[in-house]
Amino acid sequence: MVKTKKLTKYYDDPRGGLVRAVDGIDFEARPGEIFGLLGPNGAGKTTALRILSTLLRPSGGRAIVAGFDCLRQPAQVRRNIGFMSVNTAVYDRMTAWEMVEYFGLLYGWTPEQLHPRMEYLFDRLKMNEIRDVPGGRMSTGMKQKVSIARALVHDPPVLIFDEPTSGLDVLVARNLLQTIRELRDQGKCIIFSTHIMREVEKLCDRVAILCRGRILTEGTPDELRTRFGEQDLEEIFFRLITEAESIAKGHDARLGGTAMGQDDPKAGPASSPQPRREGKDVEGGPSSQAVAPWVTDQRGGS
Amino acid sequence: MTGRNVRIIFEREIRDQLRDRRTLMMVAVLPVLLYPLMGLSFFQISQVMGPKPSRILVLGAEERIEPPLFEEGRFASHLFRTPEDAQRCQVAFYTPNQAAELGIPAEKAGDDLAVADAVLQSRRFDAVLRFPPHFVQRLAIFREEVERAIRRWREERSAGQGDGAEESSRGGALALIVPEIPNPQVFYSTANERSSEAARLLNEILTQWREQVGEANLSAGGLPPQAAKPFRVQESDVAAESGFRGAALWSKILPVLLVVWALTGAFYPAVDLCAGEKERGTLETLLSSPAERVEVVLGKLGAVMIFSMATAVLNMVSMGLTGWLALGHLPMFAPPPWSVLWLIPALVPTSAVFSSLALGIAAFARSTKEGQYYLLPLLFLTLPLVGLPVARGLELTLGTSLLPVTGLVLLLKALIEGEAAQAWPFAFPVAAVTLGGCYYAIRWAVLQFNNEQVLFRDADRFDLRAWLRHLVSERREVPTPALAVVCGLLILLVRFALTNAFSRWPIQAGLIRLAVITQLAVIAAPVLLMTFLFARSMARTWRLRTPSWRGMSGAILLAFLLQPAATLLQQTVTRLYPLDPALREYLLGMTGDLGNPWLIFLAFALLPALCEETAFRGFVLTGLRQGVSARNAVIFSAIFFGLSHTILQQSITAFAAGLVLGTIALVTESLWPCIAFHAIHNALTLGTGMLASVLTQDWGRYETLRPGVAAAVGRLGQFSEDGFSYYPAVTALSLVLAVWVLLWMYAPPRLRAPGDSDTQPTLEDDELDEDALDEDELGRDRA
Repeated sequence: MVKTKKLTKYYDDPRGGLVRAVDGIDFEARPGEIFGLLGPNGAGKTTALRILSTLLRPSGGRAIVAGFDCLRQPAQVRRNIGFMSVNTAVYDRMTAWEMVEYFGLLYGWTPEQLHPRMEYLFDRLKMNEIRDVPGGRMSTGMKQKVSIARALVHDPPVLIFDEPTSGLDVLVARNLLQTIRELRDQGKCIIFSTHIMREVEKLCDRVAILCRGRILTEGTPDELRTRFGEQDLEEIFFRLITEAESIAKGHDARLGGTAMGQDDPKAGPASSPQPRREGKDVEGGPSSQAVAPWVTDQRGGS
Repeated sequence: MTGRNVRIIFEREIRDQLRDRRTLMMVAVLPVLLYPLMGLSFFQISQVMGPKPSRILVLGAEERIEPPLFEEGRFASHLFRTPEDAQRCQVAFYTPNQAAELGIPAEKAGDDLAVADAVLQSRRFDAVLRFPPHFVQRLAIFREEVERAIRRWREERSAGQGDGAEESSRGGALALIVPEIPNPQVFYSTANERSSEAARLLNEILTQWREQVGEANLSAGGLPPQAAKPFRVQESDVAAESGFRGAALWSKILPVLLVVWALTGAFYPAVDLCAGEKERGTLETLLSSPAERVEVVLGKLGAVMIFSMATAVLNMVSMGLTGWLALGHLPMFAPPPWSVLWLIPALVPTSAVFSSLALGIAAFARSTKEGQYYLLPLLFLTLPLVGLPVARGLELTLGTSLLPVTGLVLLLKALIEGEAAQAWPFAFPVAAVTLGGCYYAIRWAVLQFNNEQVLFRDADRFDLRAWLRHLVSERREVPTPALAVVCGLLILLVRFALTNAFSRWPIQAGLIRLAVITQLAVIAAPVLLMTFLFARSMARTWRLRTPSWRGMSGAILLAFLLQPAATLLQQTVTRLYPLDPALREYLLGMTGDLGNPWLIFLAFALLPALCEETAFRGFVLTGLRQGVSARNAVIFSAIFFGLSHTILQQSITAFAAGLVLGTIALVTESLWPCIAFHAIHNALTLGTGMLASVLTQDWGRYETLRPGVAAAVGRLGQFSEDGFSYYPAVTALSLVLAVWVLLWMYAPPRLRAPGDSDTQPTLEDDELDEDALDEDELGRDRA
């Protein structure tokens, strides 16, 4: 359903050099499966998911969603996904009903097709009491519900959730996870990013641990436990990340090289755990060999 | 793209804006309240600000002057044009014992000049009228002289009737010998508005009074007073009869209001719909929906346009109603009926242009706050385009109708003034320019929406020091696009700073020296500095690589082949936008006698070629090419090249030249062909210009001296007032050949040299813009 091959995204660092936000990641998520992308802040999760939802163009590699190429057929990809992230907000001056209806119409549905589906969703997500509340007066939980209804309105086969539980209280988060589980049971292919270990343990069928734009390891939670000889997933996560950070820092220190993985361009420097460095020579970075063969650049032109 | 999505987005944006209190405030409430409030405060203020009395101090006059100048201690009321003027004119007669009272030292009390100076300084009086000593007596003497002269003339004429002495006697009567009458003086200060107004009043009164004195003189001599005033000019206002009364006023006000409100009305919704969505995080939601970027832009554009038009209309209606209620009784303030109708068709394109412009800017902004920062600069850039035609009384011509916004305003102005028949032919160029503007503004907005760097711009704090340090200490081989733009702006800045200094440079003091200094200071110095600071490889930045023989010879051929087209373009431009006569004089003086032709070649052809090519095809183009497509890099470098020529006419031709030169630079990958082209082009232009000035006077002699050369030249074109013009067939043929040469140069596809592009070769590298190949007009480019 969703497949990436050596997916890469570079940014120009405002201070020169390149930032490798996503540095050649491969994974595959199948229908009826929740695939977790786990990583610290700034690991590249948001960038990767933005590429999958065609908001960003990859610098290299490929991403296939529901059989369509993210670069060449972005419109078809968008038609087949429901995307929800911390950054996909709700319109302040639209009611819940209008908001969901608006996006339903944009997906090409007619009002006659749309309204039964919306009634179903509003029932299912217990949203009937906020039907006529404008977004500006909703609580975070209500907004999250509207976002989910908006992402589900056209009944897409692929759902992409980027840290959907952030900012929610325990009760709402729990309901949300339950909804996601149900969606999986309906056979949807779900990609779910988070930095909270408990969610992974409870929810994900398979998980990839992402750090500095690269996948450190991938498998079912049980596979990871046996692979690393450790029952506690959080411990595994912590160990892997620390190791990767120290290696990267060693490289940086030795080469005066670049900070490689910087995730969300909107997440300011404060939210990045790894210190930013002045990039000097990208080609001298540790992963230059891994990058070179398949860099076909799609920047520019716009 | 589907119309359905555009419509869905459009409807949502309209509904969204209608629910936004701030937008409604700006668009609907403000104009409805603004003008009545303004009218009210105007009335309030006018109570206080009513016409101030003009206080006039009169020196050295007796009250009894005939014909009467004064009555009851003021100026005679029949001398004023209106009774109000007479009312507010206050007069005081000076006597030396008032000196202390007026704060004048006693020793100066008799000095009229000192008194006038002192009372004006102290602002006790607004103007001083001084009659010289014995003014009245001298007037009387003058009258007696006139009387006597007329009497004498009559006697001589009756005595000498029949002996043919009439001519001489008439001459005698006219020769009136009287001692000169010293003139009355008016002292006032232009720095003070009340003083200027008082002086204007005095002037009016005294002119009127002088006429009466003259009439009195005539009647004293027994002549009818009307003799000096055989007729009066009768004025009648045609506009008043045809309903265009007040058109002159409204034709200035309405277009300006239209543009300003269309722009303001577009800006706030645009910022809210783009930057605001970005800020609130809903843009990412919208962009992850199947709606395409073009659909999003067009939907939003429609909504912004509606609000822009609504703002303009509401403002005008509100202003019109207020004006009608408050000032309707004055005929001047009744707008001509047709003018209002002309505004409607003009409103749509005006709103379209500004809406798309505002949308592009708003899409670029990260937040509403940032977006609103851009409104004022945009207004300031637009206002000259609106203000100039109104203030300077520009006429609607082909040239002015091609200027964006200005053409529209001028057309509207002409229509309001009732000159529809004369204005219609220009509607086509105005419409073409306006629609073109719309198209490009919309395209730009779509580009902004497609640019992920703009949509997801880094919210990092920008640290200028770190950035500069990074630029210098870790500079790249070649400059970045940002540095290229900085370099271009730096050149323009230096040019601007020095223009004033150089414009006072006396031509005689060595024009060649001026040209050399300009090139070195304006062009070479900034480029050298920038290259030294920010680029590691001078050779790559300046494209200093040996060109292929094909590239070099192609460029040289092109320089000759494009000369006729360049001449044509230059002549067309000067015809469309005629040079200011003073400037023309100055430029002609420049091309006059310069001396040694080799020195001229060095100073006006070779040196500019070296400096300007290094700058614009070297640093700027190379830098731009790192970030933008070949076509855009060529266009932007040509724009900088054009702007660096301060005279508009030169800028246009230089822009065209820049397009060709940029293409040559990219095709040959070397600067040397550009330098060759530039130097030859300048030399040819200079050469034909100088030849033309010599030969137009002396063509006949030249023909006999050098029949072979003359015949060859005569086959190419002819000399006229505009200089040498090539025959159309020659121009067309050489153009075709030029295109052919360019294609021939382009034939080996070696655009993508290893390392031509620093880190990231772009896809467009493969497709060099075909469009640039068509740009074969090339302009004169005098240094």
